[in-house]
Parts: sequence; structure tokens; C-alpha cells
Amino acid sequence: MKQRQGLIALAFLTPALVCLAVLRIVPAISAVVESFYTESLLRGGRVFTGLSNYTDLLGSKDFRQSVGVTLLFTVLVNPIQVVVSFLLAVLFTQKAAGSKLWRTLVILPIATPPAVSAVIWSVIYRPDGLGNGVLGRLGLPAQPFLTSPNQVLPSLIVLLSWIGVGYWMLFLIAGIQEVPVEVREAALLDGAGPWRRMISVILPLVRRPLAFVLVADTVSNLLVFAPVQILTKGGPNGNSNLLMYDVYNRAYAIGDIHVAQAEVVILVALTLAIVAGQFRLLRGDQ
Amino acid sequence: MRRNLFALPAAAVAAALLLAGCGGSSGANGSGSTQTADPGPDTGTITFTGTDNAETYQPVIKAFEAKNPGIKVTYTQIPFDQFNATMQQRLSAKDTGIDVYTVDEPRVSQLAAKGFLTDLSDLDGKVKTSFSAAAYKTNHFRDKLWSLPMWNSTQYLFYNKTALAKAKVTPPAADPQQRWTWEQVEAAGRKSMQAGGTKYGLFMEQPEAYYQLQPLAESLGGGSGVEGADVLTPAIETDGWKKAMQWYGATFASGLSPRGIGGFQTGPVFSNGDVAFFVGGPWDLKIFGSSKIDWGVAPLPYFQGGKPVTPTGSWSLGINPASKQQGMARKFLEFATLDPAGNLATTSTTTIIPANLDAQKQYTPKMDAFSGAKTAGAAAITAYESEHTAVSRPVSVGYIQFEEVLGKAFADIRNGTNPDARLQQATQQLTEAWRSIK
Repeated sequence: MKQRQGLIALAFLTPALVCLAVLRIVPAISAVVESFYTESLLRGGRVFTGLSNYTDLLGSKDFRQSVGVTLLFTVLVNPIQVVVSFLLAVLFTQKAAGSKLWRTLVILPIATPPAVSAVIWSVIYRPDGLGNGVLGRLGLPAQPFLTSPNQVLPSLIVLLSWIGVGYWMLFLIAGIQEVPVEVREAALLDGAGPWRRMISVILPLVRRPLAFVLVADTVSNLLVFAPVQILTKGGPNGNSNLLMYDVYNRAYAIGDIHVAQAEVVILVALTLAIVAGQFRLLRGDQ
Repeated sequence: MRRNLFALPAAAVAAALLLAGCGGSSGANGSGSTQTADPGPDTGTITFTGTDNAETYQPVIKAFEAKNPGIKVTYTQIPFDQFNATMQQRLSAKDTGIDVYTVDEPRVSQLAAKGFLTDLSDLDGKVKTSFSAAAYKTNHFRDKLWSLPMWNSTQYLFYNKTALAKAKVTPPAADPQQRWTWEQVEAAGRKSMQAGGTKYGLFMEQPEAYYQLQPLAESLGGGSGVEGADVLTPAIETDGWKKAMQWYGATFASGLSPRGIGGFQTGPVFSNGDVAFFVGGPWDLKIFGSSKIDWGVAPLPYFQGGKPVTPTGSWSLGINPASKQQGMARKFLEFATLDPAGNLATTSTTTIIPANLDAQKQYTPKMDAFSGAKTAGAAAITAYESEHTAVSRPVSVGYIQFEEVLGKAFADIRNGTNPDARLQQATQQLTEAWRSIK
């Protein structure tokens, strides 16, 4: 009987397992294997070159800059998005007039595909666009946004936060709403102010959804591609050349699929290292 | 809590695997196949893929379907910015969903070398007599014919008549013998800005594209930017290139041209009346016709002391070797290029120059009337440039890398990076990118 149940379970799982193998595991293995080869258009044929794609990459100034830009971006964007999502979640779980309407407005960008958001922001960031129009009304000078090496990364962070914050906020709202009413009332009776209640009561009790948001947000930000492709193409001077875009550029624009696959392997390793580090930090706090 | 935390690394690994999957698989298989492809069925539906709007190809598809009952053609559009990358991806995956596709002429060599084009050498004789020598040559690689030219192009200097009148500037003449220099354009553009006629003085339609910027360097004798027996040695640090790029960067630094507007947002800057001079192609002759401003057309300028050079070439058509419908695909391709009526039908909604010489003869005289009096002189300019000043983009197996690397360099120079240093960096990037090809 038990064996039969196991077989039925396996039958149900088979489509998912097959998809996992075909769509994920096989391409991943293929990426690793292909990263050890190179191909010459002039001579023709595929040649095994060991780690040369990796050493070429590490020796490339452009690649090292891309890693630097990606790490800087990761260090900036994730804390900003997590903190803003948390603050908004706290704000929108207060009993106040219109909080549901505001909440809906913040969540709306989720329904917009990243490519469409990028196009919308390309209009905002244009020299004569909405962004500079607003700054002009406030009596502030026009900004170069996407054409300045110093402003391009912050401009992308603002755009990505506009897309992402509402989404991550949803998980935190769910977490905050699960905090027992008695606990909140007890804190109120003890005379804790709003700030104290947020830091000492709500924050420790939403640690689980917060951990999820931090890790998932980090992974999603390491995969950022569409806004870079549409708005900056990695420029100016490689200052927005995030690794995921660099992989795409090497694979399909430059057309060197083998080096691109070596870069994918490095990006995966980097992602795993960052996520593992986050788990270690979170575990240490328990 | 602990269980939940164990589930998270699994999610991260799944995400990482997804990331790895994005690398795709290698599809390049060396030199293009020379075997005669299986023609496949005589009737059915073939897919034609390109960058233009669907309306552009409706007339040619309709005419072809009327002539070939039983064959249907579906058109798929991939936006220009994503076209080359998407095609690399799909062709390397041997996607049978593409039968005929548009090929940017300088990319023929690499596409053929990668095995992404079907050998069409049996049509060589016909092609030689039907197209110009430049178009014939560009579609060849290693003595074989890989694609058939569909269109040709050139560039014009469009000017805003009202703004120039306000600045008391006599507009440039349409006569190629009285062609303006870039220095004249710059001075007149500044006058227009000072007179409050326009926000900007000069703007190029494709401000980061080699196609449009090659003439700047070539006009100063800087060469195409690539040399050597295998056409894989970067040569973009010549005096001509440096001077051209310094001038180009300065047009943005001084506000003569706008930064931050790219892709296909450039045309409206002219049609809204925001710029005095605009460099654009034959397609603009009709597009700008619907704008409210009064404008005229003149030949592309050159640098004082240099020589007039204009870009040329456009899309060809090729067949995907993975297509299972080679026979039908070939019929459509021949109709749209070798048959003058078919070739003319490809230009009936978009005003681009047909590559077929018979079609061209019928088409060019009509260009003067595309947008009434505004386009007067366009036909003579087109004929003159194609005979005297047109310079093709380099035919190199590394052209794709060349165009990508230079495109980024142009963008950086436009945004204020030192041109000499950026050209040096681009040389290094090209050397790196071409190392694996060699």
C-alpha cells in the first residue's frame, strides 16, 4: 500500500522533475561544460581550452569593473529596498483613513512589466523629461540622470525601487498582520511609543518574512537586466554595466557564448556566496 | 524557523540555476553549410522576421501571396534594438520558426561563418546583373552568396526652414556641388539656438550608430576603423577618427546636440521643431511629411578640408538553414529582391531605396514628391551620393563585435568621456573580442 502511494506521488511529481531537469539542470551543466571551450570563426571548430575563458575574464578590465559595479549596486539597492518596504508596510498597517488606497497605489507598479517600467522611466529621465520638469518647478537645476557616470546607478536604484518596493512590502504587511493583537496591546499598555513598538515588538516578530524578503530581493537584484538594456546599455563608461547585462552582451551582442557562460558560472558563484553570507548573518542572530 | 531557512537556500539555488540556464547553448558550427537544402513542401505558411512595422511588408506579402496561391507569409517584428541579439539566440538554437529574415549587410560575413545563412550561390549570375557592384559584393563571404540585397540607403541633412529664417540664415542648397561643411552647419545651428528658433542646433537620428558616424571619420581621412588582411585589426586611433570624435563629443558638451535622447526618440525632436538641423535617412522623407514644421532637405555635410562621404547599404534578406521550408522561403526571397515589382512593393509604405536596379530606376524620380515641395531635390541627392560619395561599412567577420564596441564608445563620447582615451579603450576591447575569432 505504502509502495503504491509512493508510486502515485512519483507519478504526480514526474512532470515537475522532468521540467526541472530539462529546463534548469541540463542547461546549468551545459553552461559549465561550454565555459571550458572556445570557438574560432576563422579556423572553425570547438576547442577545449580549460580555464582560459575564466582567466581571460579575470584579466579583463571591463569585467572587473562590471563585478565592482554589481557589488556596489547590491550593497546599495538591497538595504534601501528592504528598509523602505518595511517602513511602508508598518505605515500601511496603521489604522488610518485611506491607507488601503495608498497601499494599492504602491503595489500597482508590480503589474507593470520591467521593460514597460523602463520605457516609462526613460521619458522621466530624458533631459527635457518629467524628472527635470519637476526639478525646474522646484527651482533646482536640471540633472543628467542616465548620462552622468555618477548619477546613473542611483537613477537605476530609484527606478528599480519604484518597481520592487510594493512587491516586497506585501510580504511584510502579511507578516505584520500576523503579529498577535495581544502583543501589540501589551506594548501599548506598557507605554511603548510608536518607534519603540516598531523596533522592539514588530521587527523581531517579522524576522521570518524579513529574511525571505532580503534573500529573494538580493537574488532578484543580481538578475536585473531589462532596465539596463533599455536605458543605459551599461554606460556611461561602464558605470551601470551590471553582470547580468554583461553576460547578455557577451553572449548575444558580442557573440562569444563560451566566455559568457564562464561569466554566468562566476555570477552564480557570486550569488550563492552573497546568499550564503546572508543566511549565516541571520542564523547568528537567532 | 529553521525549516523555513532551509527552504530559502533551495530557492536561491533554483534562482541561480535559472540564471545559469540563461547562458543558452552553443549553436555555432563553423562555416556555413554548402549542402543543397531540402526544399520541403510546396504549400503552407512561412515566417518572415524583421525589424520594421508589419505595415511595411504587407504590400509585398500581399503581392507574393496573390502570385503564389497556397503559400502564406506571416511577418514577425523584433524591435531594432533587440533584433541582432534575439536572432543570434534563435538562430544558434536552430529555431525552425524563422524561414526568411532581414540581414544587416555588414553582418553577412559573421552570420555566414556561424552557419546562420543558407548558401544562395546558384543565384549569383542573376544577382550580379540585378544589383549595384557594392550591394553584390557586400552579400558575399568566402566567394559564396549568402543573402540578397533588398534595400539601399543614404543620409540627408534635414533643416528647419522657419528656425533658419528666424536666425537670418540662408538654408543649405539641395545641389550636391554646394554641399555645406559641418563647420557651417554648426555655426548656423548655434545662430538658430541664439535666435530662440530651436532648443538645439544639430542632431543625428542614430547618435550612437556606426552607420551614421562612419562618414565623420571617413570625411577626415580616418578610414573605416578596421584594417588588415583578415579585416580584424582595429584602426580607430587614426588622426581622422580622433578629430571626428573630438568634434562629435564637443557638439554634445556645448549643448548643440542633446544628450540622453536615443533609440527611436530622435526623429520627434526634429518634427516637433526643437532642432535646426537633423541628419536622417530616406525613410524620414515621408515620416516628417506629417509634421507641422516647414522643412527642406540638403546633402550630408563634410568637414572643411576633407571629402564628402555618405553611408550606404541597408537590409538584405537571407534564409535560415534550419528552416524546413527552404523552397517556399526562397520563392519569397527572390520575389522581394530579384523581381522588380516585388522589390518595389517592399518600399511602398516605408520610403527606402529599393536595391534592385530596375526598381530603383522607377523609384528614385518619385522621391522628390514624397512630402510635396519639402522633399524637392531628394532624388538628385540620392542619385549623386550613390554614384560619388557612398562608402560601405567594412566587410569583416568581426563586424558584429566592431559595431557593438563602437556603439558603446560613441555613447560614452556623447556623454562627455575623453574621445582619445575612449577610442584607445575601444581598441583594447576590440582586440579582446576578436581574439577568440582569430
